[in-house]
Amino acid sequence: MFSRRDFLRNMSGAALVASAANPLLSWATDAQIAIPGKEDLIVRSYRFFDLETPVEHFRTWLTPVQYFFVRNHMHEPSTIDPAEWKLSIGGEVEKPYTLTLAELGRLEVHSVVNTLECAGNGRAFQNPKVPGVQWEKGAVSTGRFSGPRLRDLLQRAGVKSTGKHVMFRGLDEVPGKVPPFIRSIPIEKAMDSDTLVATHLNGVPLPKHNGFPARALTPGWIGAASCKWLTEIKVLEKEFEGNFMSPGYRMPNQPVKPGEPVKPEDTHPTTALNVKSLISSPSDGSTLRSLNVPIQGVAWAGEGDVTRVEVSIDGGNSWQPAELGKERAHYAWRLFSYPWKAAKSGDYTILSRATDSQGRTQPPAPAWNPSGYLNNAIDQVKIHVQV
Amino acid sequence: MFKSNVAACLLVVGFALPPLWSQAGSVPELPSGPMQAKATTACTECHDARIIVQQRLSKAAWTKEVDKMVKWGALVDAQDRDALIDYLSANFGVDKPEYVPERSRSSAAKKPTR
Repeated sequence: MFSRRDFLRNMSGAALVASAANPLLSWATDAQIAIPGKEDLIVRSYRFFDLETPVEHFRTWLTPVQYFFVRNHMHEPSTIDPAEWKLSIGGEVEKPYTLTLAELGRLEVHSVVNTLECAGNGRAFQNPKVPGVQWEKGAVSTGRFSGPRLRDLLQRAGVKSTGKHVMFRGLDEVPGKVPPFIRSIPIEKAMDSDTLVATHLNGVPLPKHNGFPARALTPGWIGAASCKWLTEIKVLEKEFEGNFMSPGYRMPNQPVKPGEPVKPEDTHPTTALNVKSLISSPSDGSTLRSLNVPIQGVAWAGEGDVTRVEVSIDGGNSWQPAELGKERAHYAWRLFSYPWKAAKSGDYTILSRATDSQGRTQPPAPAWNPSGYLNNAIDQVKIHVQV
Repeated sequence: MFKSNVAACLLVVGFALPPLWSQAGSVPELPSGPMQAKATTACTECHDARIIVQQRLSKAAWTKEVDKMVKWGALVDAQDRDALIDYLSANFGVDKPEYVPERSRSSAAKKPTR
């Protein structure tokens, strides 16, 4: 199989022409940037970090920490002293209190394997294009998150009957007059037994890029509901009012035509993820020297369960069921595989389509919206078989 | 003589191949043009240029982005607003070729491989 670099080299004719016209392209193809702890991620942004996982790394159920994607809205906290860090719990509660990291670590630990996906994953494929980080496929990863349940922290404070939403504030460093990254979730989701204040990822303390020393983990929901570098939890009477609740992270109430503006009053907060699959092997654009083409991928469904993944080799005219992997957890993706044998050399387009327990199936095209959220269109890779 | 030939070869190679060891902060730069310096000052105070150069937006969309960023603290003289929007639209419009990003490497000690 050709590597990514072989593929890029084969494209060099076109790339060189493009780079002559646009110097911004000339340095980019094979360039690397040192980011300790994060290996081979696509650097959408360095200052602040937005790092996308290449789909080739989605061949294991749990995404290794070094390949786990990163989405920052602001700059990471410049320093975090674990000995000085504190988490306050307040607002509409009977007994506000603060916890040190040592005190947090003494609480009962619960683990949740969760597929965490940025709401904007797949934004780059929206047509017409919309502003924002131009994520392609890999603003998603799956990890085992561990830490105390959020509801245990809230029950210790005693939530008043007026408490309807729970707000998270992180230690992100805010540039200029940018609104702080503060969001809230409804009290019902906050009290769910799988919603955590996570301190560990895959058995190790959270890396700084992924929220050390503690982050919210709102399972099955968009990544923005799982605030990083947590420092304050506040119970509110109503949804938090701030840029990242509105106009940010909202979806149109009704389908809209591509490019059509949407009034703020015709939107609702983006919460749970939808049903989606990605093909992790073979790689898009690769040339294979064998007729035997094992097809692998991942499929997830937010708060639903994946019930079926199908694969098509003929552009969607016919679909064959893929085998689902044995490893499973309620909020985690399933691996899938399909042992395809090509009849002859040629160009092929492979599609994958997931269906979930809520009866949802991936659509052929994304539901366009002004911010490019929740693109769950059927995945496709193009390959060349040459034997 | 020999040294200068080696230096000349390195220069040629240096221009022919994309740099493997780009340092964050030194790349990418915004493209040349009458607004390059002002755009660099206004935009890269808070974020690097990558977030700009990956966008492919219409003039209407760039107008909304510039106005939002001014509200969020970007220092743009009122008289420069329209020129900045023109500059971004001209360089990062919907018809421009796809931007190709870099990848991360976790260890500073790792040697480059091609």
